[in-house]
Amino acid sequence: MEQAGASLGKPRDTKGGRATRRELFARALAAAGGLSALALTREGLAKEPAILDRPDDWAPGNALERMRRDLERALAKPMEKRKWVMVIDLEKCIGCKACTVSCVAENNLPPGVVYRPVVEEERGEFPHVRKRFIPRPCMHCDNPPCTPVCPVGATWKRPDGIVAVDYDACIGCRYCLSACPYNARTADFGEFYTEGLAEGSEAFAGPRASGYETRPSFEYGKEWRRTPGSHASPMGNARKCQFCLHRIENHLLPACVTTCLGGATYFGDFNDPESLVHELVGSSRMMRLKEELGTEPSVFYLA
Amino acid sequence: MTTQNQANAATAQHGFDRRTFLKSAAFVGGAAALPGCGILGSEPEYRKAGEYVLAKPEHVLYTTCLQCHVDCQVKAKVWDGALAKLTGNPYSPQNYLPHLPYETPLSEAVKADGKLCAKGQAGIQTYSDPYRLRRVLKRAGPRGSGRWKSISFDAFVDEVVKGGKLFAELGDDRHYPGFEELYALRDRAVAKALAEDAKKFAKGELTLEEFKKKHAAHLDALIDPEHPDLGPKNNGFVFDAGRIEHGRKELMKWFTHSSFGSQNAFEHTTICEQSHHIAYSEITHHKTHHLKPDLQHAEFVIFWGTGAFTANFGLTPMAEKVTCGKVSGRMKTAVVDPRLSNDAGKADWWLPVRPGTDGALALWMIRWMLENERYDARYLENANKAAAKADGEPTWTNATHLVKVVDGEGRALLTAAEAGVGTAEQLVVSRGGKLVAVDPHDEETPVEGDLLVRTKVADFEVKSAFQLLRDEAFSRTAEEYAELTGISPRIVAEVARELTSHGKRAGVELYRGPVQHTDGFYAGAAVITLNLLIGNPDWKGGLAKGGGHWHEFGGKPGNRYHFKKMHPAKFQCFGPRITREKARYEDFSLFREQGYPAKRPWYPFSGNVYQEIVPSFAQGYPYPGKILFLHKGTPALATPAGHKIIDMLRDPERVPLFIACDVVIGETSMYADYILPDLTYLERWGTPHVTPDVVTTTSKVRQPVAVPLTEEVTVDGEAMPLSLEAFILALAKKLGLPGFGKDAFGAGEHFHRPEDWFLRAVANIALGDKPGDAVPDASDEELALFRKARAHLPKSVFDEEKWKRAVAPDLWKKVVYVLNRGGRFAPHETGYDGKYMKKRLGAMFHLFLEDVAAQNNSISGKPFPGLPVYRGQFDASGKPLDAGGEYPLQLITYKEAFGGHSRTIGNYWTNHALQPENAVVISRRDAAKLGIEDGQPVRLVSPSNPEGKVDLGDGRVLDLVGRARVVEGMRPGVVAVSWHYGHWAYGSNDVVVDGQTIPGERRRAAGLCPNPAMMVDPVLGDVCLTDPVGASASFYDTPVALKPVSA
Repeated sequence: MEQAGASLGKPRDTKGGRATRRELFARALAAAGGLSALALTREGLAKEPAILDRPDDWAPGNALERMRRDLERALAKPMEKRKWVMVIDLEKCIGCKACTVSCVAENNLPPGVVYRPVVEEERGEFPHVRKRFIPRPCMHCDNPPCTPVCPVGATWKRPDGIVAVDYDACIGCRYCLSACPYNARTADFGEFYTEGLAEGSEAFAGPRASGYETRPSFEYGKEWRRTPGSHASPMGNARKCQFCLHRIENHLLPACVTTCLGGATYFGDFNDPESLVHELVGSSRMMRLKEELGTEPSVFYLA
Repeated sequence: MTTQNQANAATAQHGFDRRTFLKSAAFVGGAAALPGCGILGSEPEYRKAGEYVLAKPEHVLYTTCLQCHVDCQVKAKVWDGALAKLTGNPYSPQNYLPHLPYETPLSEAVKADGKLCAKGQAGIQTYSDPYRLRRVLKRAGPRGSGRWKSISFDAFVDEVVKGGKLFAELGDDRHYPGFEELYALRDRAVAKALAEDAKKFAKGELTLEEFKKKHAAHLDALIDPEHPDLGPKNNGFVFDAGRIEHGRKELMKWFTHSSFGSQNAFEHTTICEQSHHIAYSEITHHKTHHLKPDLQHAEFVIFWGTGAFTANFGLTPMAEKVTCGKVSGRMKTAVVDPRLSNDAGKADWWLPVRPGTDGALALWMIRWMLENERYDARYLENANKAAAKADGEPTWTNATHLVKVVDGEGRALLTAAEAGVGTAEQLVVSRGGKLVAVDPHDEETPVEGDLLVRTKVADFEVKSAFQLLRDEAFSRTAEEYAELTGISPRIVAEVARELTSHGKRAGVELYRGPVQHTDGFYAGAAVITLNLLIGNPDWKGGLAKGGGHWHEFGGKPGNRYHFKKMHPAKFQCFGPRITREKARYEDFSLFREQGYPAKRPWYPFSGNVYQEIVPSFAQGYPYPGKILFLHKGTPALATPAGHKIIDMLRDPERVPLFIACDVVIGETSMYADYILPDLTYLERWGTPHVTPDVVTTTSKVRQPVAVPLTEEVTVDGEAMPLSLEAFILALAKKLGLPGFGKDAFGAGEHFHRPEDWFLRAVANIALGDKPGDAVPDASDEELALFRKARAHLPKSVFDEEKWKRAVAPDLWKKVVYVLNRGGRFAPHETGYDGKYMKKRLGAMFHLFLEDVAAQNNSISGKPFPGLPVYRGQFDASGKPLDAGGEYPLQLITYKEAFGGHSRTIGNYWTNHALQPENAVVISRRDAAKLGIEDGQPVRLVSPSNPEGKVDLGDGRVLDLVGRARVVEGMRPGVVAVSWHYGHWAYGSNDVVVDGQTIPGERRRAAGLCPNPAMMVDPVLGDVCLTDPVGASASFYDTPVALKPVSA
């Protein structure tokens, strides 16, 4: 029988591997629409015996609490003085998709609309195989390719960095969907998950159970109600991640950030040098998707 | 509404020009390209966000999840009476680490959302499922026909209490037993006398004639007067629960054991990871059944057949401890799993072990550690508590204790009396060639022993426990281990070296993977032993007991309600449980008559042997069951080869009355006579416990947060939603069972409503275990928020006066304080005590398992080994399983991070939005060899199911077909199918209720359930392979083949 097993070093252990990784990663993402390459190295032998008095990892506290404080400082400033950015540590992303579902739930997204998919990749050959998961929200580009193509000016870059959509103005032409190099926008075709199921019987819950689908979404600080049979916005519109603007404005971190089980997703004001995101963007592991397009995303990855 | 109207309405609503024409045109025209008409308006003015009601404390309730058994603490947000969003509770360390101080005001906590996994958040759809049942269903055709009529709750209770010709209207003249008839033995004093004498009869201290003479007046209350030790007819009631949890579990034991007098109340643990619990339980001599590495401080962890990123106990509390540890450089991980799980894909080492050789791999690592002298000899030499204390070790082992060896196997501990060095209560160690008596629990006089001892004492051949372990580990060479496990020696050496390079700050974590095999107990014990060789229990960064919980059912000095003492007329149950668990075959009269082999296995060490319940009930061994009450479980779907019970359930001769309590018509409840609709976890109460991964004390409360979707009924004048509790209350009151209704908990302490039970438990949590440990009273402001947040709940659920009445007046405000936070949580700082865990086990670990070695396998009659051994996989008689032959692949299962039980298929946010179906995951090399392409449909066939089909008994035949997914991350020779797809009911099929067809939704039938392909035990023929010690159902010992199916 074949004897297998793999000792898989982390890329950061490779001397001078960073540039190569970033390059490979960007290239792979460009080619495969979100997949990265990965350098494999042999791990060295075991380290020295433990130092039993090392500091407690958790002593500095909860990263979410720190980001909440960062958020409060940012909200105390005028809107145009803030610059919202997101940082995603791919070493910490475990591919659980809690963010995807949290976003769907927060924004009450219908079938076919997902703001934050997580792309999975497997690299290497048995037994030297690794996995990587890449959450892909809207990049909130500083040079967004999606906004200039809108024929009605329904989408624009806000001074605080968020690329917003005005559902009332959107005509559903979907030019922006094609223009986005990250496939970050999807169309709301007006579908429902449970419409028509188990109807007309006292023995079943049927439509009594549809409350979650017809409750409003609070995107952009308004109430958007989708109800079967109606065509009201946001049905028919282009939809995408808005960094949970409605939550931010209400002193809550974006839904994906608060629920990230691996603690991989960070959010805050890049204009605040004291903020956690400012610190992380300075990491040697920092990279962005499709840098070569010059879109200047506000979503940074730590590879 | 026309598009024009819609636009006008919208314009009116939003108050600015919306370029009505274009919008309407675009909507009508769909994706049609629009002219670049240049109406590029100026950038709309930035609008300030409006009111976001979900961030207001009066819209927020805290409860506990049940999308899996991790039982996360949930923050539930309500919009206009509808459940709008579920997220994590920031008061809980399980969902926010470090968590908010317990005294944080509600208005502050509302701004901090905690973590919750994908399936937890999709729990809204478990509650809001259109296929949820509202009314009691009674079958209107043969069992499983899919034809039902809805009946009133009162009629249902009446029928099942009285029994009789319940299905006469279907032309069925059969008599169906009722509860009244099974409640045959009622007099508590008589029950006690019968129980005592039945035991004497079983022991041979009383003859059958003597017994019959003495108890002539009560023989008709017995199942079998020829075998009085089988117990009373009451045992014919069998409560078969899937994922019941604390709160309801105690309630159903109260009902089944204490009030009704049946031995038979079960959970489903053996299809999860029971052998892992039994291994921990035997190794710690029942001090605990679960330990976990302290992931907050460990520097190296081997995840063995489990991980921190997808399932286990569970990804929400565990994942970040690992990711942070890895990214900060504190921690490395290794993962043992034939499949590249998400954990393995991120690990420093991946050991794709050949399924079923985990025990061998662990013994190989043990061999390496011994050979290279990389084990904590100082720890292991401590023979008693005093010696451990002297070394600053919270725990110790019996590694040095001498064991009598018979035919090469350790059989029993040598006593000091036998060695002539002390008493019969003392044990013996050898130190420098001298025998020394030892009391392992002595705290005063330290005794140390030599680890490697092989000698003769009196007439006994003896070895130290450590010597026995060494001999077992060295019984194979590294080359033989490599051949067996398929792991390269270099990797084993690297991983073993890493494990032994961090002092106490390393550990080995195990769960399902190594133990859901026929040798699960031994594999589990071998893996646990790796921890003992580095002496890590109770150390910070080592193996942790967890912070535990405050005792909600009493028994501690601080508690007000001691439930165990509150029952006014507790029934003395007797007779074996129908699964023959926690019982020795040799202790019953059946053994005297029949000897070995027993007709079906007995399980002296384990409990909740789920796979055995229905087959034993139907086969009538050790006695026939009469009323099967299935609750929140679906054995036909969830058990390996569980489809074998379909025929049993369909046959009223073998299963005379079958009542199911379910939220949706499920894969097993579809065969019931009656289905009682239940509430989901978001509409009801519970007091689940915490995982050892959480190191601070945590008590969880599950409470109603959503408007109940079941019909409202009246039980003895009390309105409440249809539920398990409503039924049990109605049933108990109708039967006049003590422990329910007036004075149920003692004079003036009544049990009329669910909250009468659960709020007393919450009061105990609020008071704490010690006097003076109570939580503060809720302030007036908190009391007001408490009311406001429950304004959407109907009076039949939330009636403040009734809730208040459930507890003593001085406790109410404390109860509110706990309910307002969804439980009680000790501060983050209380997890550790210097270099130790704060909550410590402080117990002896047993390398030699004398209790196990003292029992026999009830089929073969041979004694069980008392050590972690590797003997391969075997059937119920101990015979090795046949090699695969024409079935060249080995089947394993896994869970998706976003799914994972039988009631999540209606969670569209995960199953539809993330992954509509599962796959048959196969390695690229095997796929190439077999000519299978990615995405190709394949049929799963096995020696037990060569057709790859299941006859559902309702005219449908299920095909075990799924799509192949070809990957690199899979050990060649192994295929994996995830668990939670492949439904044949649960809203996926058409049913007829009250003459109306309710069409099923095919999306819910997508994918494949691997269980029906799994091996049936060749000896028993009607149940899956089972570990005879830990009783885990085997999920991973089935050889399979894949047959391409033309699409």
